Amino acid sequence: MMVRVLCLLMALIIPAATLAQDGPLRIEITEGVIEPLPVAIPDLVAETPGSAEMGAQLARVIAADLTGTGLFRELPGNAFISQVTDFAAPVQYADWKAINAQALVTGAVNVQGNQITVKFRLYDVFSGTELGEGLQFAGTTDGWRRIAHKVADVVYSRITGEGGYFDSRVVFVSETGPKDNRRKRLAVMDYDGANVQYLTGSEAIVLAPRFSANGDRVLYTSYETGFPKIYVLDVGSVQRRVLESQQGTMSFAPRFAPNGRTVVYSLSQGANTDIYAMDIATGAARRLTSAPSIETAPSFSPDGAQIVFESDRSGSQQLYVMPAEGGEARRISFGEGRYGTPVWSPRGDLIAFTKQSKGRFHIGVMRTDGSEERLLTASFLDEGPTWSPNGRVIMFARETQGAAGRSTLYSVDITGRNLRPVRTPDGGSDPSWGPLQR
Amino acid sequence: MHVGQVISGIGHAGLIGWVLFGGTFQAEPLPFEVTEVSVISTDAFNALLAPGPAPATEVALPAVPDVPQVDPAPVETPVPDDAVVTEAPVPAPAPEVETVPEAPPAPPEPEIADTAPEQPQPQEQAVLVPEVAPRPIPRPSERIAPEAVAPPEPEVVPGEVEQEAVTADEGADTPAEEQEATAPEEAATEIVTEAEEPSGGPTESLRPPSRRPSPPVQTAEPAAPATPTPAPVPDTASDVEDALRAALEGGGAAEVPQGPPLSAGEKDALRVAVSNCWNVGSLSSEALQTTVVVAVDMTQDAKPITASIRMLSSSGGSAAAANQAFEAARRAIIRCTRDGYGLPVEKYGQWKEIEMTFNPERMRIK
Repeated sequence: MMVRVLCLLMALIIPAATLAQDGPLRIEITEGVIEPLPVAIPDLVAETPGSAEMGAQLARVIAADLTGTGLFRELPGNAFISQVTDFAAPVQYADWKAINAQALVTGAVNVQGNQITVKFRLYDVFSGTELGEGLQFAGTTDGWRRIAHKVADVVYSRITGEGGYFDSRVVFVSETGPKDNRRKRLAVMDYDGANVQYLTGSEAIVLAPRFSANGDRVLYTSYETGFPKIYVLDVGSVQRRVLESQQGTMSFAPRFAPNGRTVVYSLSQGANTDIYAMDIATGAARRLTSAPSIETAPSFSPDGAQIVFESDRSGSQQLYVMPAEGGEARRISFGEGRYGTPVWSPRGDLIAFTKQSKGRFHIGVMRTDGSEERLLTASFLDEGPTWSPNGRVIMFARETQGAAGRSTLYSVDITGRNLRPVRTPDGGSDPSWGPLQR
Repeated sequence: MHVGQVISGIGHAGLIGWVLFGGTFQAEPLPFEVTEVSVISTDAFNALLAPGPAPATEVALPAVPDVPQVDPAPVETPVPDDAVVTEAPVPAPAPEVETVPEAPPAPPEPEIADTAPEQPQPQEQAVLVPEVAPRPIPRPSERIAPEAVAPPEPEVVPGEVEQEAVTADEGADTPAEEQEATAPEEAATEIVTEAEEPSGGPTESLRPPSRRPSPPVQTAEPAAPATPTPAPVPDTASDVEDALRAALEGGGAAEVPQGPPLSAGEKDALRVAVSNCWNVGSLSSEALQTTVVVAVDMTQDAKPITASIRMLSSSGGSAAAANQAFEAARRAIIRCTRDGYGLPVEKYGQWKEIEMTFNPERMRIK
């Protein structure tokens, strides 16, 4: 009898001991959600009597920058429980938690004459902590939008861990008039379409402007002599000069090397088009490809070691990668359709391209070895992708069908989400995104 | 042998006779139809084939039915590409009514009676419903979650759990507590690009007001520390509560109910609750490569002690990326715990401390 009782006790105790947990409970989370992060951006506190309107405008631009990424969702002001009336006052986290604000941006603005000072702080509401330290920017009142972009860049960077792209500019071809009589001229604008400035007149057709790596110069192709020629334009002084090429040749599709001293471009002679590199200072050119087919649209990798370009040497238009000094090219695109206008990402991990397949145009991205091709857009005509400085967003031109068709700039996240038009006064094409401004 | 032949002969004769005269294979004559035909001459036949003279009066075509009014809901209507660049709302051109094809000339009346034989009425047959539902088409959605959620009703408040609205009924014996209807937010399981879902393109692009070109702006001064301001006071009420709870729980450690280990279902419920608040949408590519292990102490009502959340380790990314990943993990742990995680209190000893490994491998941009 005693033995039986002992056996029973052992039977009960041993499994319990076996199941007992050693240390804390451990779980693994492998799935989450992807949704815009709710952020509250109250109007900046006015520190001087005339600053209130400026404080509201700054808050609107900061909010537009952040929500324009698709990664943030602005909470409406009428939902706020707390009102920020003093920049130095402690934050009432409970009030912001109650409306599910996960991040809070508070700021203050001080306008005196044409001088403006903006300071701000960023808070992680649910953790009850400040993210980073407070910062302040100072400038002139006509540069208030740049200050707002800079604040938004810091907020974006602190939350996502990626560099921002709001305080950057885009050079593009501004287009007016109907398709059969379209007038084109170079223009530069803020990344969001504001502050458009024209760099050339519309007397001659201009194509494919490209920013240099530090944003001080622009390369573009102009037909003002009747033949396409490449020009270098200084953005600050709006002075330009032509890159000389041989008589009887056509040069186009230029792009700066990351070092800013070399230009790669296509040169067409007779029926053949090849890629050349030219030293801007000396004008010395050397041939990088030598094939009877058409090679064009070269783009450097960020380290300047490789060039991606398009070629029809295989019978259809495909993408190839070759060393920057020329040499054997490796085909990287193998999908259906035709590939063109490749552009290397500033991060170096992806190549954006235009693809024509089954009667539609797409903007897509692929790894630099051609793997993991992903099409982000589809329309009657999408072309000319360009990367944001942080490699997270692509801008391109979309043209609509028909005689009244119009070309408009669009941007899209590299995930394919957040496709949205860039609002410019007129039509736009051939965008080239410059670096973050200093 | 002879007898066998006789028997065989008699048997065969009988069989043949029975077949011939027994009536077994007699059947009613098959029904057939008789139609009258008339013989016509070659001339008459050619005359029949020749096109007839034009009718003296045009035959009125049947009226074109009205174009059915289509519900102009933007969600359902695919938007043409050119709609996105319209500067101002332009009235859509009236849909062209398809031209009704002319009716073919009426065939000459045949002289042969053309009556179709009556078909037997088909019997109703049960149709098997396919066992496999058609593959749902992924929808573009702002929220990507492990499980797809249909869009809630417009008046329903987004919430973590689904609940119906309750309104106070004055006449009721036991008036119910009022509550708003809530439903989980709309979500899709995967990112759908425009190339995959062409109809998901933007619907409008308003022309912006033209701006006066302004001179290049002055570069902002380099970042400077903000004017001295007192450090923001943390959420003291919450911290005091947490500290009190921790102190109280610390004093009674000996009385912590140990209980058996959590069941798989209970662990899954905890995992799902945290997953639903782990938002990786705003993380950098590098942070999405980083796995962090986060420890958290829990109160007995299954709420995390905010101050106790700490990163134990990280792998796969830089320190900055690990910090971004940790902050997202911390937000996830805190956000979805307003009512606690619903863990069994009798097993408190088992989940007093939790180590959560946040592995974003499956959430990376593919």
